[in-house]
Amino acid sequence: MLKASALYIVIIIALVIGLICSSLIVSAYFYRMEYQKKFRYDQLENNVCSGVNILLASEDTSYAKARIFSLFGSDADSVSLQRFPWGVYDVGISKAFIQKDTIVKVFSFANAVDSSKWAALYLEDQDRPLSLSGETSIVGNAFIPKAGVKKAYVNNKAYVGDERLVAGKKDTSQKKLPQLKKDRLLMLDGYLSKKPVNAVTDSLLKTDSIQNSFLTAARFINFGRKVQTIKNATLRGNIILFSDTTLIIDNSAVLDNVLVFAKSIIVKSTFHGTCQLFARDSIHVEPNCIFDYPSCLGVLKVTSDKRDTPIKIEISEKTIFNGLIFTYQLKEDGILPLISIGKDVKIYGQIYSQGMIKYKDDLEVNGSVFTSLFVYQSSFNLMENMLIDSKLNSRALSPYYLTSDLMSVAGKNKKILQWLEKN
Amino acid sequence: MARKKLTIQTKVNASTILEVVVSMVIIILVFGIAMMIYANVVRMSLSVKKIKAQAILQQTLLQAEQTNDRSTQSLMIDEFRIEQEIKPYGNLADIHLTAYDANQEKIAEVEKIIGNNE
Repeated sequence: MLKASALYIVIIIALVIGLICSSLIVSAYFYRMEYQKKFRYDQLENNVCSGVNILLASEDTSYAKARIFSLFGSDADSVSLQRFPWGVYDVGISKAFIQKDTIVKVFSFANAVDSSKWAALYLEDQDRPLSLSGETSIVGNAFIPKAGVKKAYVNNKAYVGDERLVAGKKDTSQKKLPQLKKDRLLMLDGYLSKKPVNAVTDSLLKTDSIQNSFLTAARFINFGRKVQTIKNATLRGNIILFSDTTLIIDNSAVLDNVLVFAKSIIVKSTFHGTCQLFARDSIHVEPNCIFDYPSCLGVLKVTSDKRDTPIKIEISEKTIFNGLIFTYQLKEDGILPLISIGKDVKIYGQIYSQGMIKYKDDLEVNGSVFTSLFVYQSSFNLMENMLIDSKLNSRALSPYYLTSDLMSVAGKNKKILQWLEKN
Repeated sequence: MARKKLTIQTKVNASTILEVVVSMVIIILVFGIAMMIYANVVRMSLSVKKIKAQAILQQTLLQAEQTNDRSTQSLMIDEFRIEQEIKPYGNLADIHLTAYDANQEKIAEVEKIIGNNE
Protein backbone atom coordinates (compact mmCIF):
# COMPACT_ATOMS: atom_id res chain seq x y z
CA MET A 1 0.00 0.00 0.00
CA LEU A 2 1.45 3.35 -1.06
CA LYS A 3 1.35 6.20 1.36
CA ALA A 4 0.64 9.72 0.22
CA SER A 5 3.29 11.22 2.59
CA ALA A 6 3.61 14.59 0.89
CA LEU A 7 5.63 15.98 3.84
CA TYR A 8 8.29 13.28 3.62
CA ILE A 9 8.74 13.86 -0.11
CA VAL A 10 9.01 17.61 0.46
CA ILE A 11 11.68 17.12 3.13
CA ILE A 12 13.73 14.93 0.77
CA ILE A 13 13.40 17.47 -2.05
CA ALA A 14 14.40 20.26 0.37
CA LEU A 15 17.47 18.28 1.40
CA VAL A 16 18.51 17.76 -2.23
CA ILE A 17 18.04 21.46 -2.98
CA GLY A 18 20.02 22.29 0.18
CA LEU A 19 22.86 20.09 -0.99
CA ILE A 20 22.89 21.68 -4.42
CA CYS A 21 22.85 25.17 -2.86
CA SER A 22 25.69 24.41 -0.44
CA SER A 23 27.85 22.94 -3.22
CA LEU A 24 27.14 26.06 -5.26
CA ILE A 25 28.24 28.28 -2.39
CA VAL A 26 31.40 26.24 -1.74
CA SER A 27 32.42 26.15 -5.42
CA ALA A 28 31.77 29.89 -5.75
CA TYR A 29 33.86 30.52 -2.64
CA PHE A 30 36.83 28.48 -3.95
CA TYR A 31 36.56 29.99 -7.41
CA ARG A 32 36.64 33.46 -5.90
CA MET A 33 39.51 32.57 -3.60
CA GLU A 34 41.57 31.10 -6.44
CA TYR A 35 40.85 34.06 -8.69
CA GLN A 36 41.87 36.48 -5.97
CA LYS A 37 45.05 34.46 -5.50
CA LYS A 38 45.80 34.70 -9.23
CA PHE A 39 44.99 38.40 -9.23
CA ARG A 40 47.35 38.94 -6.27
CA TYR A 41 49.99 36.82 -8.00
CA ASP A 42 49.71 38.91 -11.20
CA GLN A 43 50.02 42.07 -9.17
CA LEU A 44 53.03 40.69 -7.27
CA GLU A 45 54.60 39.58 -10.54
CA ASN A 46 54.22 43.11 -11.95
CA ASN A 47 55.65 44.61 -8.76
CA VAL A 48 58.61 42.24 -8.62
CA CYS A 49 59.38 42.96 -12.30
CA SER A 50 59.14 46.69 -11.57
CA GLY A 51 61.71 46.07 -8.81
CA VAL A 52 63.96 44.23 -11.27
CA ASN A 53 63.75 47.16 -13.71
CA ILE A 54 64.56 49.65 -10.92
CA LEU A 55 67.62 47.58 -9.90
CA LEU A 56 68.81 47.31 -13.51
CA ALA A 57 68.59 51.09 -13.88
CA SER A 58 70.19 51.95 -10.53
CA GLU A 59 73.71 53.26 -10.69
CA ASP A 60 74.46 54.36 -7.15
CA THR A 61 74.89 52.44 -3.91
CA SER A 62 71.39 53.22 -2.62
CA TYR A 63 70.41 49.56 -2.76
CA ALA A 64 73.56 48.20 -1.12
CA LYS A 65 71.34 47.32 1.84
CA ALA A 66 67.82 45.97 1.36
CA ARG A 67 65.43 48.92 0.94
CA ILE A 68 61.68 48.48 1.44
CA PHE A 69 59.35 51.03 -0.11
CA SER A 70 55.99 51.43 -1.81
CA LEU A 71 56.22 51.54 -5.60
CA PHE A 72 53.22 53.74 -6.37
CA GLY A 73 52.24 54.96 -2.92
CA SER A 74 49.22 52.67 -2.61
CA ASP A 75 48.45 49.66 -0.38
CA ALA A 76 49.48 46.57 -2.26
CA ASP A 77 52.73 47.58 -3.90
CA SER A 78 55.53 47.11 -1.37
CA VAL A 79 58.87 45.91 -2.66
CA SER A 80 62.24 45.20 -1.09
CA LEU A 81 65.25 45.75 -3.33
CA GLN A 82 68.91 44.99 -2.87
CA ARG A 83 71.97 44.75 -5.11
CA PHE A 84 75.52 43.75 -4.36
CA PRO A 85 78.62 42.92 -6.38
CA TRP A 86 79.29 39.27 -7.13
CA GLY A 87 82.77 38.98 -8.57
CA VAL A 88 82.85 40.86 -11.86
CA TYR A 89 79.06 40.89 -12.09
CA ASP A 90 76.25 42.08 -9.79
CA VAL A 91 73.44 40.29 -8.01
CA GLY A 92 70.02 41.84 -7.49
CA ILE A 93 67.24 40.73 -5.15
CA SER A 94 63.70 41.93 -5.82
CA LYS A 95 60.96 40.96 -3.36
CA ALA A 96 57.31 41.97 -3.66
CA PHE A 97 54.78 41.24 -0.97
CA ILE A 98 51.06 41.66 -0.32
CA GLN A 99 49.96 40.54 3.14
CA LYS A 100 51.49 37.08 3.54
CA ASP A 101 52.12 36.45 -0.16
CA THR A 102 55.67 37.07 -1.32
CA ILE A 103 57.40 36.69 -4.67
CA VAL A 104 61.19 36.82 -4.82
CA LYS A 105 63.50 36.98 -7.79
CA VAL A 106 67.26 36.76 -7.40
CA PHE A 107 69.30 37.37 -10.52
CA SER A 108 72.75 38.33 -11.66
CA PHE A 109 73.07 41.17 -14.09
CA ALA A 110 75.72 42.67 -16.30
CA ASN A 111 76.23 45.28 -18.98
CA ALA A 112 75.32 45.04 -22.63
CA VAL A 113 78.24 45.45 -24.98
CA ASP A 114 78.93 48.93 -26.37
CA SER A 115 79.12 48.21 -30.09
CA SER A 116 81.26 51.30 -30.77
CA LYS A 117 84.00 50.01 -28.48
CA TRP A 118 83.54 46.29 -29.15
CA ALA A 119 86.23 44.65 -31.24
CA ALA A 120 87.43 41.21 -32.19
CA LEU A 121 90.96 42.45 -31.55
CA TYR A 122 92.54 45.37 -29.73
CA LEU A 123 96.30 45.20 -29.98
CA GLU A 124 98.24 47.86 -28.10
CA ASP A 125 100.34 50.09 -30.35
CA GLN A 126 103.96 49.26 -29.69
CA ASP A 127 105.17 50.62 -33.01
CA ARG A 128 105.27 47.24 -34.68
CA PRO A 129 102.83 45.62 -37.05
CA LEU A 130 100.64 42.59 -36.59
CA SER A 131 101.52 39.72 -38.90
CA LEU A 132 99.13 37.04 -40.08
CA SER A 133 100.04 33.64 -41.41
CA GLY A 134 98.35 30.36 -42.27
CA GLU A 135 94.55 30.09 -41.97
CA THR A 136 94.15 33.10 -39.75
CA SER A 137 90.91 35.04 -39.71
CA ILE A 138 89.94 38.19 -37.88
CA VAL A 139 86.20 38.75 -38.17
CA GLY A 140 84.81 41.91 -36.61
CA ASN A 141 86.23 45.32 -35.88
CA ALA A 142 89.91 45.52 -35.00
CA PHE A 143 92.03 48.15 -33.29
CA ILE A 144 95.56 47.61 -34.58
CA PRO A 145 98.85 49.50 -34.27
CA LYS A 146 99.66 52.35 -36.65
CA ALA A 147 102.21 50.08 -38.32
CA GLY A 148 99.23 48.08 -39.56
CA VAL A 149 98.57 44.46 -40.32
CA LYS A 150 100.46 42.45 -42.90
CA LYS A 151 100.79 38.95 -44.33
CA ALA A 152 103.72 36.80 -43.28
CA TYR A 153 105.31 33.54 -44.39
CA VAL A 154 106.17 31.51 -41.32
CA ASN A 155 106.87 27.82 -40.74
CA ASN A 156 106.43 27.16 -44.45
CA LYS A 157 102.97 28.65 -44.30
CA ALA A 158 101.74 31.61 -46.28
CA TYR A 159 98.66 33.59 -45.30
CA VAL A 160 95.61 31.95 -46.92
CA GLY A 161 92.79 33.79 -45.20
CA ASP A 162 90.52 36.66 -46.26
CA GLU A 163 92.29 39.13 -48.57
CA ARG A 164 90.99 42.02 -46.50
CA LEU A 165 93.05 40.63 -43.55
CA VAL A 166 90.46 42.06 -41.16
CA ALA A 167 86.83 41.34 -42.07
CA GLY A 168 85.51 44.41 -40.32
CA LYS A 169 86.32 48.01 -39.54
CA LYS A 170 89.99 48.81 -38.86
CA ASP A 171 90.91 51.44 -36.29
CA THR A 172 94.18 52.56 -34.81
CA SER A 173 94.90 51.41 -31.31
CA GLN A 174 96.39 53.55 -28.55
CA LYS A 175 99.69 53.15 -26.75
CA LYS A 176 97.79 51.76 -23.80
CA LEU A 177 94.88 49.37 -23.54
CA PRO A 178 91.53 50.85 -22.46
CA GLN A 179 91.56 50.94 -18.68
CA LEU A 180 89.63 48.56 -16.45
CA LYS A 181 87.13 50.06 -14.02
CA LYS A 182 89.00 50.99 -10.86
CA ASP A 183 86.11 50.52 -8.38
CA ARG A 184 85.53 46.92 -9.41
CA LEU A 185 89.27 46.16 -9.33
CA LEU A 186 89.58 47.62 -5.83
CA MET A 187 86.59 45.60 -4.68
CA LEU A 188 88.15 42.37 -6.01
CA ASP A 189 91.52 43.30 -4.55
CA GLY A 190 89.82 43.92 -1.21
CA TYR A 191 88.74 40.27 -1.11
CA LEU A 192 92.24 39.14 -2.10
CA SER A 193 94.01 41.17 0.56
CA LYS A 194 91.57 41.21 3.47
CA LYS A 195 89.39 38.31 4.47
CA PRO A 196 85.98 39.18 5.93
CA VAL A 197 85.88 39.12 9.72
CA ASN A 198 83.25 36.39 9.82
CA ALA A 199 85.15 34.05 7.48
CA VAL A 200 85.27 30.62 9.06
CA THR A 201 87.75 27.88 8.45
CA ASP A 202 85.41 25.22 7.31
CA SER A 203 86.19 21.55 7.33
CA LEU A 204 84.89 21.34 3.79
CA LEU A 205 86.49 17.98 3.26
CA LYS A 206 83.98 16.41 5.63
CA THR A 207 80.93 17.75 3.86
CA ASP A 208 79.84 16.76 0.41
CA SER A 209 77.53 19.61 -0.41
CA ILE A 210 77.04 23.21 0.61
CA GLN A 211 74.27 25.27 -0.84
CA ASN A 212 73.70 28.82 0.29
CA SER A 213 70.88 31.01 -0.90
CA PHE A 214 71.55 34.56 -2.10
CA LEU A 215 68.70 35.59 0.20
CA THR A 216 70.87 34.83 3.21
CA ALA A 217 74.24 36.29 4.16
CA ALA A 218 77.22 35.08 2.12
CA ARG A 219 79.03 32.08 3.50
CA PHE A 220 82.76 32.79 3.73
CA ILE A 221 85.07 29.81 3.91
CA ASN A 222 88.71 30.49 4.66
CA PHE A 223 91.25 27.73 4.09
CA GLY A 224 94.08 29.83 5.56
CA ARG A 225 97.67 28.98 4.81
CA LYS A 226 97.15 25.28 4.18
CA VAL A 227 97.15 24.01 0.60
CA GLN A 228 93.69 22.50 0.24
CA THR A 229 91.99 20.47 -2.44
CA ILE A 230 88.27 20.80 -3.01
CA LYS A 231 87.09 17.39 -4.07
CA ASN A 232 83.90 15.34 -4.01
CA ALA A 233 82.02 18.44 -2.97
CA THR A 234 79.20 20.44 -4.48
CA LEU A 235 79.27 24.15 -3.71
CA ARG A 236 76.36 26.15 -4.95
CA GLY A 237 75.22 29.75 -4.54
CA ASN A 238 76.27 32.49 -2.18
CA ILE A 239 79.63 31.01 -1.15
CA ILE A 240 83.05 32.69 -1.23
CA LEU A 241 86.21 30.63 -0.74
CA PHE A 242 89.48 32.17 0.44
CA SER A 243 92.98 30.81 0.59
CA ASP A 244 96.27 32.48 1.52
CA THR A 245 98.12 29.96 -0.57
CA THR A 246 97.37 27.51 -3.37
CA LEU A 247 93.86 26.15 -3.72
CA ILE A 248 93.34 23.07 -5.85
CA ILE A 249 89.94 22.42 -7.43
CA ASP A 250 89.55 18.77 -8.27
CA ASN A 251 87.45 17.51 -11.20
CA SER A 252 85.12 15.80 -8.71
CA ALA A 253 84.13 19.19 -7.29
CA VAL A 254 81.05 20.97 -8.61
CA LEU A 255 81.15 24.76 -8.33
CA ASP A 256 78.06 26.67 -9.30
CA ASN A 257 78.19 30.49 -9.13
CA VAL A 258 80.84 30.37 -6.45
CA LEU A 259 83.63 32.94 -5.97
CA VAL A 260 87.19 31.83 -5.17
CA PHE A 261 89.95 34.18 -4.00
CA ALA A 262 93.39 32.68 -3.49
CA LYS A 263 97.08 33.34 -3.97
CA SER A 264 97.13 30.77 -6.72
CA ILE A 265 94.53 28.35 -8.07
CA ILE A 266 94.95 25.04 -9.85
CA VAL A 267 91.95 23.57 -11.66
CA LYS A 268 92.37 19.85 -12.27
CA SER A 269 91.75 18.34 -15.68
CA THR A 270 88.16 17.56 -16.81
CA PHE A 271 86.67 19.94 -14.26
CA HIS A 272 83.22 21.25 -15.26
CA GLY A 273 81.52 24.16 -13.55
CA THR A 274 80.49 27.81 -13.42
CA CYS A 275 82.67 29.89 -11.17
CA GLN A 276 84.67 33.07 -10.85
CA LEU A 277 88.28 32.45 -9.85
CA PHE A 278 90.51 35.32 -8.75
CA ALA A 279 94.15 34.97 -7.83
CA ARG A 280 97.00 37.18 -6.77
CA ASP A 281 99.75 35.21 -8.56
CA SER A 282 98.49 32.56 -10.96
CA ILE A 283 95.66 30.37 -12.21
CA HIS A 284 96.47 27.11 -13.89
CA VAL A 285 93.70 25.26 -15.74
CA GLU A 286 94.59 21.70 -16.66
CA PRO A 287 93.44 20.08 -19.94
CA ASN A 288 89.85 19.28 -20.96
CA CYS A 289 88.09 21.56 -18.52
CA ILE A 290 84.75 23.21 -19.28
CA PHE A 291 83.77 26.54 -17.73
CA ASP A 292 80.17 27.49 -18.40
CA TYR A 293 78.94 31.04 -18.86
CA PRO A 294 79.22 33.25 -16.83
CA SER A 295 82.65 32.26 -15.55
CA CYS A 296 85.69 34.42 -14.91
CA LEU A 297 89.42 33.89 -14.47
CA GLY A 298 91.22 36.94 -13.16
CA VAL A 299 94.71 37.51 -11.83
CA LEU A 300 95.23 40.97 -10.43
CA LYS A 301 97.71 43.01 -8.48
CA VAL A 302 96.14 46.34 -7.74
CA THR A 303 98.56 47.33 -5.02
CA SER A 304 102.24 47.54 -5.84
CA ASP A 305 104.09 44.63 -4.35
CA LYS A 306 107.71 44.61 -3.29
CA ARG A 307 108.08 41.05 -4.53
CA ASP A 308 107.98 41.14 -8.26
CA THR A 309 106.40 37.76 -8.91
CA PRO A 310 105.02 37.54 -12.45
CA ILE A 311 101.29 37.02 -12.74
CA LYS A 312 100.02 34.31 -15.01
CA ILE A 313 96.94 32.49 -16.29
CA GLU A 314 97.61 29.19 -17.98
CA ILE A 315 94.84 27.40 -19.87
CA SER A 316 95.82 23.95 -21.03
CA GLU A 317 94.70 22.21 -24.19
CA LYS A 318 91.14 21.30 -25.18
CA THR A 319 89.58 23.50 -22.54
CA ILE A 320 86.34 25.32 -23.32
CA PHE A 321 85.88 28.59 -21.52
CA ASN A 322 82.78 30.80 -21.55
CA GLY A 323 83.15 34.22 -19.97
CA LEU A 324 85.91 36.64 -19.11
CA ILE A 325 89.66 36.13 -18.66
CA PHE A 326 91.76 39.05 -17.50
CA THR A 327 95.09 39.99 -16.01
CA TYR A 328 95.84 43.30 -14.39
CA GLN A 329 98.88 44.70 -12.64
CA LEU A 330 99.27 48.20 -11.34
CA LYS A 331 103.00 48.28 -11.86
CA GLU A 332 103.50 48.68 -15.56
CA ASP A 333 107.25 48.15 -15.66
CA GLY A 334 108.76 44.82 -14.75
CA ILE A 335 107.64 41.42 -15.97
CA LEU A 336 104.49 41.56 -18.04
CA PRO A 337 101.43 39.53 -16.98
CA LEU A 338 100.99 36.43 -19.11
CA ILE A 339 98.00 34.52 -20.41
CA SER A 340 99.12 31.23 -21.88
CA ILE A 341 96.64 29.38 -24.08
CA GLY A 342 97.17 25.76 -25.05
CA LYS A 343 96.29 23.91 -28.21
CA ASP A 344 92.62 23.50 -29.22
CA VAL A 345 91.38 25.78 -26.48
CA LYS A 346 88.05 27.41 -27.33
CA ILE A 347 87.16 30.69 -25.71
CA TYR A 348 83.68 32.19 -25.97
CA GLY A 349 83.85 35.63 -24.43
CA GLN A 350 86.59 38.11 -23.69
CA ILE A 351 90.30 38.09 -22.99
CA TYR A 352 91.90 41.19 -21.52
CA SER A 353 95.61 40.83 -21.09
CA GLN A 354 97.55 43.76 -19.79
CA GLY A 355 100.61 41.93 -20.97
CA MET A 356 101.22 38.99 -23.25
CA ILE A 357 99.03 36.33 -24.74
CA LYS A 358 101.17 33.32 -25.47
CA TYR A 359 99.67 30.60 -27.62
CA LYS A 360 100.92 27.50 -29.33
CA ASP A 361 98.57 26.60 -32.15
CA ASP A 362 95.04 27.18 -33.36
CA LEU A 363 94.08 30.04 -31.09
CA GLU A 364 90.29 30.34 -31.27
CA VAL A 365 88.46 33.17 -29.58
CA ASN A 366 84.81 33.72 -30.36
CA GLY A 367 84.49 37.15 -28.87
CA SER A 368 87.09 39.74 -28.15
CA VAL A 369 90.82 39.90 -27.38
CA PHE A 370 92.45 42.96 -25.82
CA THR A 371 96.18 42.53 -25.42
CA SER A 372 99.49 44.36 -25.39
CA LEU A 373 101.34 41.62 -27.21
CA PHE A 374 100.89 38.24 -28.89
CA VAL A 375 103.61 35.68 -28.50
CA TYR A 376 103.54 32.60 -30.69
CA GLN A 377 105.53 29.67 -29.45
CA SER A 378 106.41 26.66 -31.55
CA SER A 379 108.92 23.91 -30.95
CA PHE A 380 111.55 25.94 -32.76
CA ASN A 381 110.88 29.58 -32.28
CA LEU A 382 109.14 32.36 -30.39
CA MET A 383 107.56 35.18 -32.39
CA GLU A 384 105.93 38.41 -31.32
CA ASN A 385 102.71 39.88 -32.72
CA MET A 386 102.27 36.96 -35.07
CA LEU A 387 98.93 35.23 -35.54
CA ILE A 388 99.25 31.79 -37.10
CA ASP A 389 96.22 29.61 -37.86
CA SER A 390 94.21 31.64 -35.39
CA LYS A 391 90.56 32.59 -35.42
CA LEU A 392 89.34 35.75 -33.73
CA ASN A 393 85.66 36.22 -34.40
CA SER A 394 83.57 38.75 -32.52
CA ARG A 395 80.46 37.90 -34.57
CA ALA A 396 80.50 34.25 -33.49
CA LEU A 397 79.69 35.28 -29.94
CA SER A 398 76.05 35.08 -28.85
CA PRO A 399 74.18 38.39 -29.31
CA TYR A 400 72.93 37.88 -25.75
CA TYR A 401 76.48 37.95 -24.35
CA LEU A 402 76.82 40.40 -21.49
CA THR A 403 80.05 41.83 -20.18
CA SER A 404 81.18 43.07 -16.80
CA ASP A 405 81.34 46.79 -16.05
CA LEU A 406 84.99 46.11 -15.27
CA MET A 407 85.62 46.17 -19.00
CA SER A 408 85.82 49.32 -21.07
CA VAL A 409 83.52 47.83 -23.72
CA ALA A 410 80.64 47.71 -21.23
CA GLY A 411 77.67 49.73 -22.43
CA LYS A 412 75.32 51.76 -20.25
CA ASN A 413 72.40 49.33 -20.36
CA LYS A 414 72.33 46.59 -17.78
CA LYS A 415 70.56 43.33 -18.51
CA ILE A 416 69.75 40.14 -16.68
CA LEU A 417 72.54 37.62 -16.93
CA GLN A 418 71.08 34.69 -15.05
CA TRP A 419 68.08 33.89 -12.87
CA LEU A 420 69.60 32.53 -9.68
CA GLU A 421 66.57 31.91 -7.51
CA LYS A 422 62.84 32.54 -7.68
CA ASN A 423 59.66 31.24 -6.14
CA MET B 1 -23.28 -11.31 -21.24
CA ALA B 2 -22.97 -10.29 -17.71
CA ARG B 3 -21.18 -6.95 -17.13
CA LYS B 4 -17.95 -7.28 -15.21
CA LYS B 5 -17.31 -4.78 -12.44
CA LEU B 6 -13.80 -3.22 -12.47
CA THR B 7 -12.29 -3.24 -9.04
CA ILE B 8 -8.93 -1.76 -7.98
CA GLN B 9 -7.16 -4.02 -5.58
CA THR B 10 -4.45 -1.47 -4.47
CA LYS B 11 -5.59 1.03 -1.99
CA VAL B 12 -4.01 4.52 -2.28
CA ASN B 13 -3.99 6.81 0.73
CA ALA B 14 -4.57 10.40 -0.11
CA SER B 15 -2.81 13.23 1.73
CA THR B 16 -4.98 15.45 3.72
CA ILE B 17 -5.51 18.96 2.52
CA LEU B 18 -3.49 20.27 5.51
CA GLU B 19 -0.51 18.04 4.59
CA VAL B 20 -0.55 19.31 1.01
CA VAL B 21 -0.75 22.95 2.08
CA VAL B 22 2.16 22.59 4.54
CA SER B 23 4.30 20.79 1.93
CA MET B 24 3.55 23.48 -0.62
CA VAL B 25 4.58 26.20 1.81
CA ILE B 26 7.81 24.34 2.67
CA ILE B 27 8.71 23.72 -0.96
CA ILE B 28 8.04 27.34 -1.88
CA LEU B 29 10.22 28.50 1.03
CA VAL B 30 13.04 26.10 0.09
CA PHE B 31 12.90 27.13 -3.56
CA GLY B 32 12.83 30.80 -2.56
CA ILE B 33 15.93 30.44 -0.37
CA ALA B 34 17.69 28.43 -3.11
CA MET B 35 16.98 31.13 -5.68
CA MET B 36 18.27 33.81 -3.31
CA ILE B 37 21.47 31.84 -2.75
CA TYR B 38 21.92 31.27 -6.46
CA ALA B 39 21.35 34.96 -7.23
CA ASN B 40 23.84 35.97 -4.56
CA VAL B 41 26.48 33.54 -5.80
CA VAL B 42 26.08 34.74 -9.38
CA ARG B 43 26.17 38.39 -8.27
CA MET B 44 29.19 37.96 -5.97
CA SER B 45 31.31 35.86 -8.32
CA LEU B 46 33.68 37.68 -10.66
CA SER B 47 32.37 38.39 -14.04
CA VAL B 48 33.95 36.92 -17.13
CA LYS B 49 34.22 40.52 -18.33
CA LYS B 50 36.53 41.47 -15.47
CA ILE B 51 38.75 38.44 -16.00
CA LYS B 52 38.95 39.19 -19.71
CA ALA B 53 39.76 42.85 -19.06
CA GLN B 54 42.52 41.84 -16.67
CA ALA B 55 44.04 39.47 -19.24
CA ILE B 56 43.88 42.15 -21.96
CA LEU B 57 45.61 44.64 -19.67
CA GLN B 58 48.44 42.17 -18.94
CA GLN B 59 48.85 41.57 -22.67
CA THR B 60 48.87 45.32 -23.44
CA LEU B 61 51.43 45.87 -20.67
CA LEU B 62 53.70 43.23 -22.15
CA GLN B 63 53.42 44.77 -25.62
CA ALA B 64 54.04 48.29 -24.31
CA GLU B 65 57.16 47.03 -22.53
CA GLN B 66 58.54 45.44 -25.67
CA THR B 67 57.90 48.37 -27.99
CA ASN B 68 59.44 51.80 -27.90
CA ASP B 69 56.05 53.49 -27.64
CA ARG B 70 56.07 55.45 -24.39
CA SER B 71 53.15 57.78 -24.94
CA THR B 72 49.92 58.42 -23.06
CA GLN B 73 47.14 57.14 -25.30
CA SER B 74 43.72 55.50 -25.51
CA LEU B 75 43.23 52.11 -27.20
CA MET B 76 40.16 50.11 -28.11
CA ILE B 77 40.62 46.36 -27.62
CA ASP B 78 37.52 44.20 -28.03
CA GLU B 79 34.73 45.91 -26.11
CA PHE B 80 37.13 47.67 -23.75
CA ARG B 81 38.63 51.13 -23.85
CA ILE B 82 42.19 50.98 -22.47
CA GLU B 83 43.70 54.19 -21.12
CA GLN B 84 47.49 54.09 -21.16
CA GLU B 85 49.18 56.68 -18.97
CA ILE B 86 52.96 57.06 -18.85
CA LYS B 87 54.69 59.00 -16.10
CA PRO B 88 58.43 59.38 -15.56
CA TYR B 89 59.83 57.35 -12.66
CA GLY B 90 63.43 58.47 -12.17
CA ASN B 91 65.19 57.35 -15.32
CA LEU B 92 62.42 54.78 -15.92
CA ALA B 93 58.76 55.01 -16.87
CA ASP B 94 55.66 54.25 -14.80
CA ILE B 95 52.95 52.75 -17.01
CA HIS B 96 49.37 52.76 -15.74
CA LEU B 97 46.70 50.94 -17.75
CA THR B 98 42.98 51.16 -16.97
CA ALA B 99 40.23 49.20 -18.74
CA TYR B 100 36.71 50.68 -19.12
CA ASP B 101 33.64 48.84 -20.41
CA ALA B 102 30.96 50.16 -22.81
CA ASN B 103 29.23 51.97 -19.90
CA GLN B 104 32.51 53.77 -19.14
CA GLU B 105 32.76 51.87 -15.90
CA LYS B 106 36.27 51.01 -14.63
CA ILE B 107 36.76 47.24 -14.87
CA ALA B 108 40.43 46.62 -14.13
CA GLU B 109 43.79 48.38 -13.83
CA VAL B 110 47.50 47.51 -13.72
CA GLU B 111 50.61 49.54 -13.02
CA LYS B 112 54.27 48.73 -13.57
CA ILE B 113 57.71 50.35 -13.77
CA ILE B 114 59.32 49.67 -17.13
CA GLY B 115 62.56 50.63 -18.83
CA ASN B 116 62.71 53.72 -20.98
CA ASN B 117 63.96 51.80 -24.04
CA GLU B 118 66.15 54.68 -25.10
